[in-house]
Amino acid sequence: MSRAEKTPTLIDFSLTAHDIRRRRVNQIMLGVIQTMAILAVVPLVAIFIVILSKGLPSLSVSYLLNAPLAEPRGIINAIQGSLVMTGIAIVASAPIGIAGGIYLNEYASERVSRLGELFIDIMLGIPSILAGLFVYFAIVPLLGHSGWAGSVALTVLMIPVVMRTTQEVIRLVPAGLREASLALGVPQWKTTVFVTCRTALSGILTGIVLAISRGLGETAPLLLTSQSSNDTAINLGQPMSAMTVVIYQNATSSDPQIVASAWTTALVLFVLAFILNVLVRFRTVNNRVV
Amino acid sequence: MKKPSVAITATKESPDAERSTSKKMLAMTLTDVEALYGTFRAVNKVSLDIEAKSVTAFIGPSGCGKTTLLRTLNRMHETLPGASVKGKIEVGGTNIYDPAVDPVRVRRSIGMVFQKPNPFPAMSIAQNVASGLRLSGAKSKGSISEVVEQSLRKAALWDEVKDKLDEPGISLSGGQQQRLCIARAIAVEPDVVLMDEPCSALDPLATLKIEELIEELKTRYTIVIVTHNMQQAARVSDTTAFFNMGTDRGGYLVETGPTTKIFTNPSNKLTEDYIAGRFG
Repeated sequence: MSRAEKTPTLIDFSLTAHDIRRRRVNQIMLGVIQTMAILAVVPLVAIFIVILSKGLPSLSVSYLLNAPLAEPRGIINAIQGSLVMTGIAIVASAPIGIAGGIYLNEYASERVSRLGELFIDIMLGIPSILAGLFVYFAIVPLLGHSGWAGSVALTVLMIPVVMRTTQEVIRLVPAGLREASLALGVPQWKTTVFVTCRTALSGILTGIVLAISRGLGETAPLLLTSQSSNDTAINLGQPMSAMTVVIYQNATSSDPQIVASAWTTALVLFVLAFILNVLVRFRTVNNRVV
Repeated sequence: MKKPSVAITATKESPDAERSTSKKMLAMTLTDVEALYGTFRAVNKVSLDIEAKSVTAFIGPSGCGKTTLLRTLNRMHETLPGASVKGKIEVGGTNIYDPAVDPVRVRRSIGMVFQKPNPFPAMSIAQNVASGLRLSGAKSKGSISEVVEQSLRKAALWDEVKDKLDEPGISLSGGQQQRLCIARAIAVEPDVVLMDEPCSALDPLATLKIEELIEELKTRYTIVIVTHNMQQAARVSDTTAFFNMGTDRGGYLVETGPTTKIFTNPSNKLTEDYIAGRFG
């Protein structure tokens, strides 16, 4: 019995015309997708290049620290205003947001928890100008166009961010940890604060950074509430500038110097937003598992 | 279906004549204890005694309520939404389910070690061991660091971690983490330590270490252990209680007695069948 008689029939692996067409379609589609991806990144790169080229020439330490009406002009009022109003807003919204997130996850019933989540998600999605409009209507008659009103508007927008993030990270804390704590004879509230929150702490901090990032970037609500001012003294009862508002007001000016200040402010804002974002990414990547 | 039987107190039937009087002390007495999830009765009336400074094992097939019953012993069962307990559990003359009794205080005297080791990830090894003391407000006999060292020694973990007490609790291996949890539980000086299948997530070597540890711990603490592993129950326990699932899907106590008797000459046919591996 020779082997030749027992040779099995081979499967034909050679390329057909169909295969060649399929390969070409693959390559075309790959090219299309790559082009789309590049197109998506182009605006960001363009913004970066434009801001850098237009904002950098005027940038100097004195520019950052000087008043807008001084000689040479500066943008200290805008930077201060943003930092102050966002600072007040985060001091107000962080405790409320964290406590709310804890309540929804640890103490509320299933139904209340789901309703609460829905409500926060709606709040997160509200166009910021509506929040500004609300504060304009409700707070400005009482406090006037002021830094306080601006801070309130920012608080309204920042609370849902903190609350949502807090709720999500606390939910990730394994039930076994809470049980271990209770089984040691630790009261419920201490379990929540010293075990659950402590474990979720880095996530909670990330939520706060995200909220700050949002607060610094808002324009519309501040236009309606804190408006703007050239004053360099921090006077919360009076209208107060913010970086975003200054950019809006100065960008369309006929005076090239004023336009330049808009660009420089834009650069400062861009760098701040960039740093905050990198911070958030860094924290999220390193602390993915609670 | 066999009706739930009333338990025989192990000590009175014990053939072990050398048992000292102190060991005949009862740490806990259960009377008609039932555990419910809403209206579903997971554990039917159980009455049994837990002897002090000894190891009592709960054995039985899956789903027969052993873990549920264990969790009623330190009032952990009721922390689940909708869960409730009926009956009486007496510890040192007091019914721990009396409305006047604070469940948090109960849990300080009756500690628990869980199936999956759960050290607190946000704390170091030393902080983990001290966490019970610091957070529950229990008074420690010595300084915190002394108690930490003592507890780690008692848990047979000191030599392995003494140079890295500040490392995170989760950096240890599974078996070490479980011993860390045991150290954490005994740091608050409980009278009873409950163990819910403490070795089921561990490899045989780690399991052996924990079983040796249980042998040492029982000179100081009363231990109640739930285990799926019959051979483990035979190895470590002095008293064994066998549970089974009834037709209503609720668990009930079939028989309890000295371990040697249960495993060699059980009174109940069901027990004999389970031990012989004919079911479960």
